[in-house]
Amino acid sequence: MNKVSTILLALTALVILSAMAAITFGPADIDSSELLSCLVSTCQNPIANVVIWQVRIPRVLVALVAGMGLAIAGAILQNTTRNPLADPYLFGIVSGAGLGATIANITLADNLTIALPLAAFLGALFSVIIVVFIAKVLQRMEQLLLAGVAVSFMLASVTQFILYFGEPFATNRVIFWLMGSLARVEMSNFYVIASILVIAIVTVVALHRQIDALLLGDESAASLGVDVDKLRLLMLGICAALTATIVAYCGGIGFVGLMIPHIVRQLIGVTTLKLIIGSALIGAIFLIWVDVVARSSLPHAEIPIGIITSALGSIFFLFIMYRSRAIT
Amino acid sequence: MSTLITISQLRWQVQNKTILQNINFNVQKGEVIGIIGPNGAGKTSLLRCLTNQANILNSSQITGSVLLKNRAITQFSAKEIAQHFAVVMQKNDSIFALSVQDVMKMGLLPHKTLFSLDSDHDKAQITLALKKVGLDHALHNHFNQLSGGEQQRVLIARALVQASQILILDEPTNHLDVYYQHQVLQLVNKLNITVIMTVHDLNLASLYCQRLLLLNQGQLICDGSPEEVLTPKQLSQVFGLPCQQSIDAITGAIQVSFYLNDDNAQKKPVLESSDE
Repeated sequence: MNKVSTILLALTALVILSAMAAITFGPADIDSSELLSCLVSTCQNPIANVVIWQVRIPRVLVALVAGMGLAIAGAILQNTTRNPLADPYLFGIVSGAGLGATIANITLADNLTIALPLAAFLGALFSVIIVVFIAKVLQRMEQLLLAGVAVSFMLASVTQFILYFGEPFATNRVIFWLMGSLARVEMSNFYVIASILVIAIVTVVALHRQIDALLLGDESAASLGVDVDKLRLLMLGICAALTATIVAYCGGIGFVGLMIPHIVRQLIGVTTLKLIIGSALIGAIFLIWVDVVARSSLPHAEIPIGIITSALGSIFFLFIMYRSRAIT
Repeated sequence: MSTLITISQLRWQVQNKTILQNINFNVQKGEVIGIIGPNGAGKTSLLRCLTNQANILNSSQITGSVLLKNRAITQFSAKEIAQHFAVVMQKNDSIFALSVQDVMKMGLLPHKTLFSLDSDHDKAQITLALKKVGLDHALHNHFNQLSGGEQQRVLIARALVQASQILILDEPTNHLDVYYQHQVLQLVNKLNITVIMTVHDLNLASLYCQRLLLLNQGQLICDGSPEEVLTPKQLSQVFGLPCQQSIDAITGAIQVSFYLNDDNAQKKPVLESSDE
């Protein structure tokens, strides 16, 4: 077995172990033997049964797929745009989703279960269309990221404008939602995110050679038979769908898409297949443990998960900058 | 020799600017053709038309025909074109640390279906191609850390893995020192496939191409052997400098030198002779 396979196998084992371990963390005292009996047979304690199956398992599973999805979205964007700083946040996808969710939250009081993710998705799609349109008008792909940043700020300002004039209760709800949390997730959220994640992974695996061809430039890829614009648009659409669904259920969780592919490139490799699988596994481990920290570090409260990922992400980037300075 | 490509009355306009006009020529199987001419003559544009990449630009208008095996190039899918043409562009760098193996695997793309993984046969092909260009030891090296000459050789090896009938090279000796210029062109010559390349250095073109196409201001001025194309009269007109022709004592190839047209200045060769 080669080095890459060994690392991927070890990471897969770590994902399973992390998920199992994360279920034991929480305010209710459930030891590992009780957990094991609940998982493999029937629970003796009815409270433990409810806590494990209706609270902790959905939460850990959503953390797992959300971590996978955000990391994969970052990896796809980075490889298709040849930009290591590309991230769903910087492409305006999250701001678009945020605006959509804000409008849904402010205008609709009920029926948010379906309306919220749908509005977030439409918002994300809207931002992608604007970003691609600007890049098309400029005819320069390297401007895609700058266009994304501009659109991101523009949509964020619209969101803030709506919130400023919005009804305080709804505004509060949106502000907390934007900070990111897995506290209210349900098993149905896991199924939705997992379905889109599977579609994204299958599509990327199918097209991994075409995405790889982009790594040496658009002209080189076109000479190898790749329809560059169509491929890039498809990948942006997939990232928008993936990110929008995750953001809709979990709120704003930043830096995962930027940070995780960076680690994977150092550890496993730069080509799409390795990057996607590696990012999915490390992204899952990362978000499972960040969520554990979010729900267990304060005695009677939770820290919004987005605050932790952003703090870790910024420290991580300062570390990377320091290390590259030490090398040069 | 059979005819692979037929170009007739080709004209390419972008936003009312004529890039190419009145281009007519055939390409026979196995020929090594050099496209020469001053900057902006339309050399790279002609390569783009050959591989059907010219349509990508907005407001692009192409008239005339480019036939590949008697079928219009526009009727071929992008994948089919990639199965016929392997292209080595001038600029090929990546911000990510791609290995030589990663770059080589790109050459497999036109022959692969969705989801397909690398077979043992693919790996053997990659090793064989790298061996042909003398870089089989560099499989796991970082592509960006190779010298310019080595990068060109890897890209030529990638073209071999692509198994196309026609190799297109855009200024393959650009930014290379004299040793690598000869090494790369000698390698291209030994491949025994049809090669169409733009070459800036006329003496290298004379040495390594069987046939030359001289372009100026988007028009094909002359098409023939180096002896027929590299005449002082023709080159002086196209490049705007007096030109002198000689025969290289060792290779027997036509060599040309240009001189500044300044009667007071000492005659000092410019352009071509500096490379040889």
